[in-house]
Amino acid sequence: MFLALKEMSRAKVRFGLLTVALGMLVFLILFQQSLQNGLLTSFVGAIRNQTAPVLVYSVDGQRVIQGSIITPDLEQLVTTADGLGDVGRIGQGTFSVTNADGELTDTTVLGYEQPLLGAPAELAEGRYPRAAGEAVGASNDADAGFGLGDTITIEPSGYEITIVGLADDVQLNAGATLFVAYDDYVAAVQSANPDAGTPLPNVLAAAPADGVTPEQLVANINGLSDDLDALTRSDAADETPGVAQVQQSFRVIFLLYGLVIPCVTGLFFLIITFQKSGALTLLRAIGAPARRLVTSLLFQAVLIVIAGYAIGLALYTPLSQRRLGGIQLRFETTAVIVWAIILFVLGIGSSLIAARRVLRIDPIEATTGGANR
Amino acid sequence: MKLALRELVRKPGRFVTATVILTLIAVLLMFLGGLLDGLLRLSTGALRAQTADAIVYSDASQSSFLRSRIEPDDRAAIESADGVDEVGGLGVVLLGARVPGNGPRDLANVAVWGYELPKSGIPAPPAPGEAYADELLQADGVELGDELLVGPARTPITVTGWVSDTAYNGSGGLWTDLGTWREVLSQNRPDAVLADGVVQALVVSGPGDPADVVAAVDAANDGTYALTIDDAINEIPGVEEQSATFNQILGVTVVIALVVIALFFALLTVERTALYGVLKAIGARSRTIFGGLVVQATAVTLVASAVAAVLVVVLDLLIPPGSIPLFVSPSRIVLSVVLLLIAAVIGSAFSLRRVLRVDPASALGN
Amino acid sequence: MSTPALQMSDVRKIYSMGDNEVVALDHATLTVGTDEIVALVGPSGSGKTTLCSIAGGILSATEGSVVVGGEAISDYGDKELTTFRQNKVGFVFQSVNLVPFLNARENLLVVDELGRRQGKPARDRADRLLDELGLADRAKNLPSQLSGGQKQRVAIGRSLMNEPELVLFDEPTSSLDTELGQQVMELIRSEMKSRGTAAIVVTHDDRITEYCDRTVRITDGVLGDD
Repeated sequence: MFLALKEMSRAKVRFGLLTVALGMLVFLILFQQSLQNGLLTSFVGAIRNQTAPVLVYSVDGQRVIQGSIITPDLEQLVTTADGLGDVGRIGQGTFSVTNADGELTDTTVLGYEQPLLGAPAELAEGRYPRAAGEAVGASNDADAGFGLGDTITIEPSGYEITIVGLADDVQLNAGATLFVAYDDYVAAVQSANPDAGTPLPNVLAAAPADGVTPEQLVANINGLSDDLDALTRSDAADETPGVAQVQQSFRVIFLLYGLVIPCVTGLFFLIITFQKSGALTLLRAIGAPARRLVTSLLFQAVLIVIAGYAIGLALYTPLSQRRLGGIQLRFETTAVIVWAIILFVLGIGSSLIAARRVLRIDPIEATTGGANR
Repeated sequence: MKLALRELVRKPGRFVTATVILTLIAVLLMFLGGLLDGLLRLSTGALRAQTADAIVYSDASQSSFLRSRIEPDDRAAIESADGVDEVGGLGVVLLGARVPGNGPRDLANVAVWGYELPKSGIPAPPAPGEAYADELLQADGVELGDELLVGPARTPITVTGWVSDTAYNGSGGLWTDLGTWREVLSQNRPDAVLADGVVQALVVSGPGDPADVVAAVDAANDGTYALTIDDAINEIPGVEEQSATFNQILGVTVVIALVVIALFFALLTVERTALYGVLKAIGARSRTIFGGLVVQATAVTLVASAVAAVLVVVLDLLIPPGSIPLFVSPSRIVLSVVLLLIAAVIGSAFSLRRVLRVDPASALGN
Repeated sequence: MSTPALQMSDVRKIYSMGDNEVVALDHATLTVGTDEIVALVGPSGSGKTTLCSIAGGILSATEGSVVVGGEAISDYGDKELTTFRQNKVGFVFQSVNLVPFLNARENLLVVDELGRRQGKPARDRADRLLDELGLADRAKNLPSQLSGGQKQRVAIGRSLMNEPELVLFDEPTSSLDTELGQQVMELIRSEMKSRGTAAIVVTHDDRITEYCDRTVRITDGVLGDD
């Protein structure tokens, strides 16, 4: 390893540039992984992490809760579905509110009729609402004027809601989100727009009867009418408009970054090997086994990948704790491990091309002057 | 210069890998940029189409059309203000529309707009029950003369013309007169019903700068606030965040391109040290040699950019409409190429020191 | 006799290495006539390369005066020396000599590209030189397609492109076998004599000196005639 380290210390700029390039690539990949996950969680976390196994939209809603409206006859129809255990209303509205910090901001309010049909599945702190004017908030917003015990005022009516519990990852549309009892939701809507009548529920939350799977219930409900669009909890989250686009876009981005990495490392080690072929030939001629020279090359590759990854991680870690607009970023441990493995394989794999070149070097060239160019 | 270009032509193999890497990076830049443009276009089209100087929302609306309410009194006060020429009502509702010939569950997302004043590219409002449709809706199978059934109440709207780049919140616009819009709203969104004479927002034109119009409106009426069109675009949720985030990612990607170019030409320079020694001994200046490097970096970048531009355009054609919101525009491609060229010049400058350090005396005595 | 090709008087070259000073050339005085070919012989480290570098304007002398073809270069800065090298001297190096991605003819034309462009006259000159050197049918070959002797002939052609006052040959035959080496030396001699151009040939091979008009020996930076 003496040779490998000596060479690197003599060519600091070159090895340094490679390491920096890798580090920045790692940083971008990890950051965008956090961005993607944060984006999706903040867009549909409220759907993923609520209690109802099945959500019933109107086809008109195009799988957007706020766009969906369940008319009384559709609601009646759903109650007749085979395999239905229980059903409750969910209403959603976006309101201008004054938060606990006194700032005017947007808030999504989700009203549910029954705790097991639309409330956050798990609380991180506090309790579920018991009385009118109480809500569960998203822990991601807790530092942004939506903390436990804070009172939120809906503008311009002045209707007040107090946060009594907090749940993780339950935002909708990347903004502050409050879960309230359905009656509170109705009151909030009417306070904000006096012209509004009694709002219709946006979606229905349903649970299958014993022995019926959510998928069966979905099929049964969808069979009732072309105007009903029932989805399991996870489908409802994944099929929300924009989610698939985000995933596809990031897939293309990750693929491109993934291609750049082996190209950069592979090219680097190939050129380096080519440039020092004279020295390598000499080393082979004085008796260095080819295996030793390859090991030295791979050792450098490993070192560069590790150092590059460390730089990337060092840039990524502080940023991964931050909030970006309404999006809470998070340190994605899985992504960090998976990308470390991918990078290791790609980085080392691409340097094998250079290793093949080392193995092909013929020590006899040293005596014929082939190395002395 | 000639020497540098001749090397590119004679020894293209040496530059292929670097060109491939740069091509990938250029594709990334153009793709990410196109994604940003596509996303922004889909959320800002309707506001960018406004020719007025300012938009007026009610206080506490947070610049959201759906939450803004302008009463007739407010409108009257603003209309009579000094520095205001023309005032028009504006409102929108997002709904699903049934398109003739599509399946019962296959709806098009539409933003039904009610408006009074013509916009850029949008003529004066059509007759009641009719609408100018955004060309985006063609991807959903909408055709001229189609009667779309909008919302759960199936309010009929007939498409009588096309407009382009008027999207809002990702949905294509259906531009109708205020009366038709108000009817669609009351039939389909009981929670958002507005009384006669009430609109969501106003567009205002005046004789002065947009900033003067904003000031005139704000002075004339309480309970509302005015924004220039540009400010209103930035107030659309997500617009600023998206731009900032994407631009940071683009910036780091440009820096990666710079480092890759620096790395590649540093390696190349090391390889050519002896040759540079000879050239300097027979009278080449460092400036000439370094100029050659810059020319090569520029040429490699231009080739990579050209290939990347073609790839991105092909990618744009391959992506089915409505999946990835990619919008490839000449200006985005040009901007990406300019950024890459700057990165190329700065990147190759890393080798300047090494070129300067090559001693012509090294050619002798070897 | 007109102005000598090279007049070096009392030239000293001192390198400082840390606190030490190494005298590479000590009070060297050498005059080379207009069409004289001088062999410069000495063991390695004796100062041959330093003397050549100073005569060719690659290095500046620490002390003393250097006049090449009537042009005093002792006080020149880097830029002036570069221009001087473009116009007044020719070089033939030992190993790395030709630009690998240029063909024989283009290797000659490099000289024209570096200085003030002449265009057609330079192209004609390159063709004439290649013809004289027996390389007319090799003009389009890359260095990798040429033999060792042919490469050295291309290098000689390049060194004559700028119609120099003085050509410096740095061990021009060291990578060639005896027979080829002699052929190259014969060629050098006839080219120099027919043009009336002066040359210094650095070598440690006594067989080479036969082709030169006179031999100058150098030991530890001090010159001495044979």
